[in-house]
Amino acid sequence: MTSERHLATAEPAFVLHSTPWRETSLIVELLTAHHGRVPLIAKGVRRPRSALRGLMQPFQPLLVSWFGNGELRTLKNAEWQGGLPLLQGSALFCGFYLNELLVRLLGRDDPHDDLFLVYQTALARLAAAEPFEPVLRAFEVALLRELGYALQLEREADTGAPIVAEGQYRFEHERGAIRVVEASGNAVQFAGKTLLDMAQSRYDDPVTLVQSKQLMRQLLGHHLGYQDLHTRRIIQELPSL
Amino acid sequence: MAFHLMQRDRVGAGTLVQALSEALQTIQHCVQCNNFTEATLCELCNSERRDARLLCVIETPADLLMMEQTHAYRGMYFVLMGRLSPLDGIGPQEIRLDRLLDRATDGVTEEVILATNFTAEGEATAHAISELLRPKGLRVTRIARGVPVGGELEYVDSGTLAQALLERRPTSR
Repeated sequence: MTSERHLATAEPAFVLHSTPWRETSLIVELLTAHHGRVPLIAKGVRRPRSALRGLMQPFQPLLVSWFGNGELRTLKNAEWQGGLPLLQGSALFCGFYLNELLVRLLGRDDPHDDLFLVYQTALARLAAAEPFEPVLRAFEVALLRELGYALQLEREADTGAPIVAEGQYRFEHERGAIRVVEASGNAVQFAGKTLLDMAQSRYDDPVTLVQSKQLMRQLLGHHLGYQDLHTRRIIQELPSL
Repeated sequence: MAFHLMQRDRVGAGTLVQALSEALQTIQHCVQCNNFTEATLCELCNSERRDARLLCVIETPADLLMMEQTHAYRGMYFVLMGRLSPLDGIGPQEIRLDRLLDRATDGVTEEVILATNFTAEGEATAHAISELLRPKGLRVTRIARGVPVGGELEYVDSGTLAQALLERRPTSR
C-alpha cells in the first residue's frame, strides 16, 4: 500500500471538493480510477500565473500525477482531459450532490474498481441534460453496491422468495425486503414493482420514481448517520427544484 | 508577523491596531450594493452618472474594482460577499440572496448581469440567482466566456477552447 501511495502518474481523476490552503494553495479531494478517494495538496495553484489555475475544478475529467507517503499527497501535475461538457443549471447542483455523497460515504484510499465508471456515467448523463432523478437513483444504488451494501431488490430477505410486482414490502437496512401481509401503521411500504424496477434501473413509472427516492433516502440516511446532506437542503432551498 | 511587530516594530503595531479598530468602527456594508463603505450609501450608489437600470452581481469587492477598470460598464452593482458552496453548506440563505432579490426588484432595475466567477461554485451561484430573478420579470444575463482578447488558439487552454466552441454564436453581419 505504502509504495502504491508513493507515486501516481497520469491517473484518471475528478475533483470532488477543494478548500483554499494558505495564500496560494488548495487541498483537493479527488476521486481516482484506481486509488479511490485521494486527498492532495496542490501547491501554488492559486497563484495568478499558475498553469494549473482554474484546472482543479469539479466535474471535469483530469489526468493527475502526485507523489508523497503521507495521507495528504502532493500534486505534481494535472492535465485537462475533456470529453465531458460542463454541467449547467440544475444538473450542476445534482453534481454537487454526487460529490457530497462520495466525500461523506467513501473512505480515503479505498479503491472500488467500478465506482469511477459509475460516477463518470452519472456525470455524462447529467451533462447530456437527462432527467436527473433516474440518474441520481441509479448512482445511489450503484454507490451502495460498490461500498459493499448491495441491495437485494429481487428476493425477499429471510425466505429468498422472489419479489412480486403486486406485493407490498418494507425494507430494512442490512436485511432487505420483507413482505407486508397486513398493513401496519408506521413502517413505510414499497410496491414490489418499485423494487423490481430499481433492480433494472427502470424509472419511467412515476410511482417508482417517488418510492425509490423515499427508499434511497431512508437507506442513505442510515449510512450517513442521519446527518443531513448540505446539498440536499440547498437544492430544496432553490426556487426551481 | 505578530512576533516581528512585538519584537521590532511596536510603533508600527500601534498604528496597525488603530487603523484596524477605526476600520471596524466606521466601515459597514452599503445598504444598496452591500460593498464596504464608510457611509450608509456608498459613493457609487449615490452617483447620478450611473445607469440605475443595470445591476451587475459580483462575488467580491475585488471583482468590483476589476469591473470598474474595464470602463465598459456604467450601471450599478451588488456585491454578494461570497458564493454558493454546496459541499461547505453555503446555500442561498447563507449568502443572503433575499437581499439581492429586494435590491433587484426596486422597480428601477431592468437587467441583472451575472458576473460571478466561472468556477463550479460561481456557475451554481449564477444559476440560483437567475432562477430567483427571472420569474420577477427581470432580464437576467450572464457575462460571456471564451478565448481572451488577443488570445492565440495555440496557447489557449483546452478547457476554455472546448467551452468556447460549445458556446459559439453566429457571426454578425
